[in-house]
Amino acid sequence: MKVTKQILALVLVIGIFAAFNFCIYELLTRRLSGNFSDTTQAKQIDVGAYLPFDENSNIVKVETDLHLTDDLPVLDGAAALFPVYSAVVNALYPAESVTYEGGSFSDDNYYGENFAPDSAMQYKNTVRGYKAIVDGETDILFCAAPSAEQTAYAEELGVELVYVPIGLEAFVFFINSENPVENLSVDEVRAIYAGNIQNWRDIGGTDRVINPVTRLSGSGSQSAMDAFMGETPIGGKSLLAVTGGAIGFSFRYYLDDLVDNANVKMLSLNGVYPSKENIRNRTYPIVAQFYAIYRNDNDNPNIPVVIDWLLSQEGQTLIEESGYTGIQ
Amino acid sequence: MKDKTFSILLCAVLLLGLLATAAHVLYAADAYQRCSIIYFIGEELW
Repeated sequence: MKVTKQILALVLVIGIFAAFNFCIYELLTRRLSGNFSDTTQAKQIDVGAYLPFDENSNIVKVETDLHLTDDLPVLDGAAALFPVYSAVVNALYPAESVTYEGGSFSDDNYYGENFAPDSAMQYKNTVRGYKAIVDGETDILFCAAPSAEQTAYAEELGVELVYVPIGLEAFVFFINSENPVENLSVDEVRAIYAGNIQNWRDIGGTDRVINPVTRLSGSGSQSAMDAFMGETPIGGKSLLAVTGGAIGFSFRYYLDDLVDNANVKMLSLNGVYPSKENIRNRTYPIVAQFYAIYRNDNDNPNIPVVIDWLLSQEGQTLIEESGYTGIQ
Repeated sequence: MKDKTFSILLCAVLLLGLLATAAHVLYAADAYQRCSIIYFIGEELW
């Protein structure tokens, strides 16, 4: 009898550990397995699917009479704008201007691309991209508005950046498609991220803790989120929140076109869905501009040529057909 | 089973369980920092 009790006690302890780990696995680990690597946060886009001068590329191909041959501005940009500036390179630049280390494209590396240092096209994404444009390594950066740190870095080095709006984009919030919530007010979203609303039940959902997810500091979407929050600080969250129902943020094009994951859905804000039409007529509450950015002291004669083309009908058509909303 | 043997076995099970759980939690915390947020939210259980 005593031995039976002892064995039962051991089995019980093992069972408690197994149950606890199973819960962690179901709530967390299962959603992370095979879903991360050192490149995930840096790469963010399948660069190889949007290369210029590739007949199988997913970029938009527009016909134009403008073809640059010399003094090619080096173009760089954020992940979500890679298809746009790749299409610009494809339309305006000679094919030999884009080169790769080792002679051909490879994504078998940390950032998922291997553009050669002297290539007229680069992919540094937002954080490294802002540093590169300030340092003079690139000529035009396609990106969302900078973070406070990125602005301060330019000021520290005495560099003035010129921001030319070339298109519109919606800053969107998304949740799991099974979450019954469809709409939030702007104030409710701010309250969630401030930590003042912590359960979906309080905003018309089911009784479940909210997990407000943030992004890498300095990334385009996190900078947009910081701007959205304004003076309201993003609050901390409990460790248990990671097991709750999450809400995340991104730009519409990145979420809806580039990633297109059917298991998540965008939320309406103040009753307005972030459709292209609602971005264009600006009824969606958070419409942001994205920019072509260059150093004011950069005397490359083709920078204004490229900028003017981006704002022309041909350039705006390229932006529209790439999935964004034009500025004109 | 002698009490001493049982105590040793219980301690061993507890130690192994704690170590395995700690490793699991550390792995999950590290993966959470670097995962695709869209995929993470898409795989949520409802």
